[in-house]
Amino acid sequence: MTTTIQEIDGKIVASLSGELDTAAAQEAEKALQPLLSCEGKEIVIDCTNLDYIASSGLRIFLSILKQAKGVGSRVVLKNVNDVIRDVLELTGFISIFEFE
Amino acid sequence: MYLYESIFSDMDPLKKSWLSRVGLVFIAAVLVEIISIVQYEHVRKLMQEEMEIRSEVVMGAMMQRIEHLLELTEVTMKENLWDVQRCLSRPDSIFASMVRLIDDNPYVVGGCLAFVPHYYPSVGRLFEPYAVKEKGKITVQQIAGPNHDYTRNQEFTFVLDSLKPSWTDPYSYGPDSLNYATYSYPVRDYGGRLAAVCGLDIDLTWLGDTLNAHQPFPSSFSMLLTEEGSLVTGPSKRRFSPELVSKTVDILNGTLPASAIPGLAIRKTKMDRDPYWQLVQVYKVDEAFTRMRRMRRQQMIFILLALAILAFMTNRYARSARKLREASEEQARLSGELSVARNIQQEMLPKTFPPFIYGSVESAREVGGDVFDYFIRDGKVFFCIGDVSGKGVPAAMLMSMIRSLFRMVAQKEDNPSHVLRILNEELCRGNDSNMFATFFMGSLDLYSGEMRFANAGHDKPFLVSDEIALLQAKSNLPLGVFPDTHFEEQTLTFAPGTTLFMYTDGLTEAKNIERKAFGRGAVLEVLRGCTTGASPQDVVSSLSEAAHRFAGEAPQSDDLTMLVVRFDPGHILREQIELSNDLSEVARLSAFVKGFCAKLPVDPKTASGLRLALEEVVVNVINYAFPDQEAGTVSIQADSNYHEVRFTVTDAGIPFDPTSVMEADTTLDAETRPIGGLGVLLARKLMDSISYSRRNGQNVLTLTKTIS
Repeated sequence: MTTTIQEIDGKIVASLSGELDTAAAQEAEKALQPLLSCEGKEIVIDCTNLDYIASSGLRIFLSILKQAKGVGSRVVLKNVNDVIRDVLELTGFISIFEFE
Repeated sequence: MYLYESIFSDMDPLKKSWLSRVGLVFIAAVLVEIISIVQYEHVRKLMQEEMEIRSEVVMGAMMQRIEHLLELTEVTMKENLWDVQRCLSRPDSIFASMVRLIDDNPYVVGGCLAFVPHYYPSVGRLFEPYAVKEKGKITVQQIAGPNHDYTRNQEFTFVLDSLKPSWTDPYSYGPDSLNYATYSYPVRDYGGRLAAVCGLDIDLTWLGDTLNAHQPFPSSFSMLLTEEGSLVTGPSKRRFSPELVSKTVDILNGTLPASAIPGLAIRKTKMDRDPYWQLVQVYKVDEAFTRMRRMRRQQMIFILLALAILAFMTNRYARSARKLREASEEQARLSGELSVARNIQQEMLPKTFPPFIYGSVESAREVGGDVFDYFIRDGKVFFCIGDVSGKGVPAAMLMSMIRSLFRMVAQKEDNPSHVLRILNEELCRGNDSNMFATFFMGSLDLYSGEMRFANAGHDKPFLVSDEIALLQAKSNLPLGVFPDTHFEEQTLTFAPGTTLFMYTDGLTEAKNIERKAFGRGAVLEVLRGCTTGASPQDVVSSLSEAAHRFAGEAPQSDDLTMLVVRFDPGHILREQIELSNDLSEVARLSAFVKGFCAKLPVDPKTASGLRLALEEVVVNVINYAFPDQEAGTVSIQADSNYHEVRFTVTDAGIPFDPTSVMEADTTLDAETRPIGGLGVLLARKLMDSISYSRRNGQNVLTLTKTIS
């Protein structure tokens, strides 16, 4: 599981690659800490290379979203694959996130 | 018009068609009448012509006969005249010559020789010897005298004056009023002096009878008239009134108009020689055709009668044809519906089978009353077989009901005896038609081989392992008999390779042409013949073949259903792993699940789902079953029969049931959603079932999912 955060065109882009399972989640939560202080910038989570996600990963996404919404920003999930999209659907996350 | 319309619009089509048929018959009758009239007129004309020709022929023949008679008489006169002349000079021989004269011709009944006055001065002024035939004897006598002065006779004077032979008009003479006619001939002596008039009498009485002997119609008659039109001879008084005859004569002579006797037809033919008599045939035109008309009328009645019968019959036929058509339409509709029903019923039966179970139904009719079903849940196969009393649609309906109930109830209820109890209660509810069903159900744990079963009056299944025996199932009452029946539950653990063979009596009671039943013994034989490795499908097809071979040409009388379940742990993939209660172990878990799934026919998405579900529950166990951070292990066993995957998660932590954790509400928005509860939600949604139990101080969590 690798995480990179960049600022592109005024948006904070976090690229995740690998499997975000329960074990990887603790690490990922730390790595994604900067996103919790986005200062109103739009957050893009690039899932192009994300193969798997467990509920702990979803919880990280949810806390990022809650924080961003709290400061009037938005979170966009980018290039979500079918397996992850299924999980998002099962949990109802499909309706609270934005996708591109 | 209004009435007409209202009558017809209110009528049902049956009546309408009946009326149209009556109309047709009426038209046919009119046509037949017209044809008959035309035919009648034509025939009448032909007949009239024919009658005229016939009458002409008859009258011609009659006339010829009369003329012939006259000629014969004339010839007789001429041939014998020399003899008479010869005797004139010898008056004593005159009598003899008279005898010879009339003897010569059988038609001549008498003859006279009326001498001119004073021819023989010795005998006085008048002398007339007269010969007469009486009963074959001829007598001659002199008949002239004061009472019989022949010189006043017109004929006599006419012949003397004209010197020509002449025929008298017929006259009546003598006591019998016979009809006579006389041929008179002037006789000269050798000196050339006119001596006498010789007369020959012929009898014409026979003529009247002969003329009327053969008449074409009852009212027709013939007459002979003189040239002047007076009656010579006609029909006898007994047959026709003289009044009618004289009236007819008057009409003929023009003294009475023809209309005096309506419909009278007269044919007349006249002799073309002396005495120019006329032959007349009289008939009534109407009467000539009376018989024909009567015939026509009778014919008409017959035809009308035939038409009426025809109409009646076509009506009957049309009615029965319609009934037949309606019946066949009904039949087609019913068979269409039956085939739909058959499809529905076939759809209800399982079509795909994992390797450890197989079943089949062969219905004797379109739809049947046999049922079997199976489904797999929680690592167990639930199966049933049943036979509804009766056959056909009612049995099929009950069968559908039983199958649906089984599905509904057994999906939730593990205990076969409870399932049967509920089914029985439902079937007894409002069972007015008193139908019932024998039923056997069981659940086989695909991993442990434990079978729980209960029976409701069904034939005991065969248990096939090293040896073959009947399953010692308690019979109990069938379903639908008494609502409070208790169905005892039994348990038996199968050794690996054990096969349970269930069937309906359509198998054991399959009959051959000699009405002999296949029997349980034959079933046993076939089962014995099956190799130990035979799959359930092999067993079913062996028995089906054997039963059909036995029955031969005999029609299948009952539904034939078989169901075979085999406990075959050899088909089960089983892997285990032990994890310590540390979240870092999740990586090992993931690798374990991936490796397990790689050996199964599952797509990546399903494999990912299985991994996620197991991860979520294991993480929960790690997080919550060991609250005091003490070290512990979580063991995971993964099983699959290639149809279903089962994970068993066991730990010795504190009692903890992850299924009792509140699930996240997926409908909440981002702000109000709690962070937790997602794991259980995911595991539930990804698996078919999750069940928890606490056994022997351990938490046992079972997750199953069907993969095929």
